[in-house]
Amino acid sequence: MKKISLLQAGENEKIKILEILGGSNLERRLMSMGVYKGKEVVKLSHIGLRGPVVIKSGRSILALGHGVAAKIIVER
Amino acid sequence: MIKKIYLIGNPNVGKSVVFSRITGVQVISSNYPGTTVEIAKGYLRLDEQKVEVLDLPGTYSLDPSSGAEEVAVSLLRELPKEDIAVINIVDSTNLERNLLLTLQLIEEGFPVIVCMNMCDDASHRGIHIDIGRLEELLKAPVISTCAVTGAGIKLLIQRVKEARPSLRNKLTHQELWLEIGKIVEQSQRLEHRHHNFREILEDASVRPVTGLLMASGVIYAAFKFVRFIGEGIISHITDPIFLNFYQPVLENLTSHWQEKGFWYHLLIGDLIDGKIDFKQSLGVLTTAPYIEFGMVLPYVVSFYFILSLLEDIGYLPRLAILLDNLLHRLGLHGYAVIPVLLGFGCNVPGILSTRVLESKRERFIAATIISIGVPCVPLQAMIFGLLGKFGGFYVGGVYLVLFSLIIILGIILNRTLSGYSPEFLLEIPPYRFPPLFMLWKKLYFRIKGFLIEALPVVLLGVLFINILLYYKLFDFVTGIFAPVVHGLFGLPKEAVVALSIGFLRKDVAVGMLMPLNLSANQLFISATLLAISFPCIATFVVLAKELGFKGMIKATSLMLFISIIIGSLLHFTILR
Repeated sequence: MKKISLLQAGENEKIKILEILGGSNLERRLMSMGVYKGKEVVKLSHIGLRGPVVIKSGRSILALGHGVAAKIIVER
Repeated sequence: MIKKIYLIGNPNVGKSVVFSRITGVQVISSNYPGTTVEIAKGYLRLDEQKVEVLDLPGTYSLDPSSGAEEVAVSLLRELPKEDIAVINIVDSTNLERNLLLTLQLIEEGFPVIVCMNMCDDASHRGIHIDIGRLEELLKAPVISTCAVTGAGIKLLIQRVKEARPSLRNKLTHQELWLEIGKIVEQSQRLEHRHHNFREILEDASVRPVTGLLMASGVIYAAFKFVRFIGEGIISHITDPIFLNFYQPVLENLTSHWQEKGFWYHLLIGDLIDGKIDFKQSLGVLTTAPYIEFGMVLPYVVSFYFILSLLEDIGYLPRLAILLDNLLHRLGLHGYAVIPVLLGFGCNVPGILSTRVLESKRERFIAATIISIGVPCVPLQAMIFGLLGKFGGFYVGGVYLVLFSLIIILGIILNRTLSGYSPEFLLEIPPYRFPPLFMLWKKLYFRIKGFLIEALPVVLLGVLFINILLYYKLFDFVTGIFAPVVHGLFGLPKEAVVALSIGFLRKDVAVGMLMPLNLSANQLFISATLLAISFPCIATFVVLAKELGFKGMIKATSLMLFISIIIGSLLHFTILR
């Protein structure tokens, strides 16, 4: 059990979302797309050089900008 | 009594396809979120009564987070709930994510009927949904459909009247997701499947190394195919028709015309070596149709064929992931790749689709970049037609200049405009392979749209220009701008006419350059200038509509400034 940001999680790693920093607006947007506290997701990839992070949540594949990914705290 | 029917659902669940099916109104549908940025209206006959049907932009929930979502939600709340019916379209392959909006709609007391779309795709993926059970759990009618083939649509129309509000307790978001989990568990059965080829490709295209390889392959192949199909249509279909059939007919008809006066000049134009030359005669019946049908249309067909294919498969959002990084430096994010690509077809839909971007600042940057640095298909086709004979070097040069311009302009705008660029947050759709007839329908729709908009402008435009030329009315304008065009850009003063026609239509403008006997370098400069300078009238109108009057003036001044700089820069570096 270790708290890390989504950026630090490895490829194909299964993680649980603990916290979404960065305001209620972002939290609401992610929530409506099915990404919320307690949800288990898989990190698929991270496009290098401050590129986006791609995760799989349920049956959806989501691309999150680098800045968004940095604000998502997960548990490995 | 139902007065209006709304189609609402998450982005990219096929709302527009359902809409086309029930109203018969053709709208563009693609496999990426945010295809619908304008509200489409149509009618449906219900009990001998015409009911208006609205296709709303996709939204994930009833508390909107983008401009398009806001529009959808506010329209939904316009009429009292007892006067409307809401068709909630759900992607059967992703029940869980879709149900949030469904439950919110029911909670708020909207009369809802749930349309489980893409049911065929779901069963391919081993997803089985118990429709009866779902109906019980949601307490609303549920119909399984496959809008692409039309299955289930009849039933959907029959049961629209059954949409009634049902009672549900208000839950918080977190509680809603728990509830959804329970509903999905009770109504959905998953078959265990091994990864198939499609899923392996889906996966590879979002990973850095394989993704980049695939992207370069796709872009290269797309470009090659557009050229191949376009050239193929020109040399095997349109050119033979024009040269072997139309030209003799036209020459026979006009050979008895002794006095080559005003009308001859208007309709046929000048003879080159005693013959009609479709590229140089400049008549309403000669060069005008040749530009549109013989040079531009083949490329419009090939470009939209390839674009529609990529759209429907669902490749474009994956390109957005890979380009996010670069576009971030221009003050945009990955998703801006969609408006830019549409802009390569025609700037008008490109600028309209900047509505998928959240902030005003982003939309200004994207719309300005598109109108200045992105050449539309008609212009590109003419550039191929004109510069192609001097070799790929010149054609490539135009693209290189425009590409560098986009990057530099974006970086400057991003640094100087106040505000920040919002983060990228996008759902990536699965690859889909819709039946070919969907592709043909879309292609036909786009080509028809192109012809309806372009043809009258081109014919009337050439007529108008010919009248002005006949009475030498252009001399006045030429006189004023000649110093700029000649002194700064190194072009003959006749090019003023062509450059100012660019305001009307870019393809005609390049057509006006054809008889001037410009050198390769001069053609290169004028083609580049035409791409950068004034957008055509249609683009101008949407720019003003989308950015407001002030934004439009800002974009235009930038454009003038950049045209002068680039024009003189090119002139003094390559012509001297």
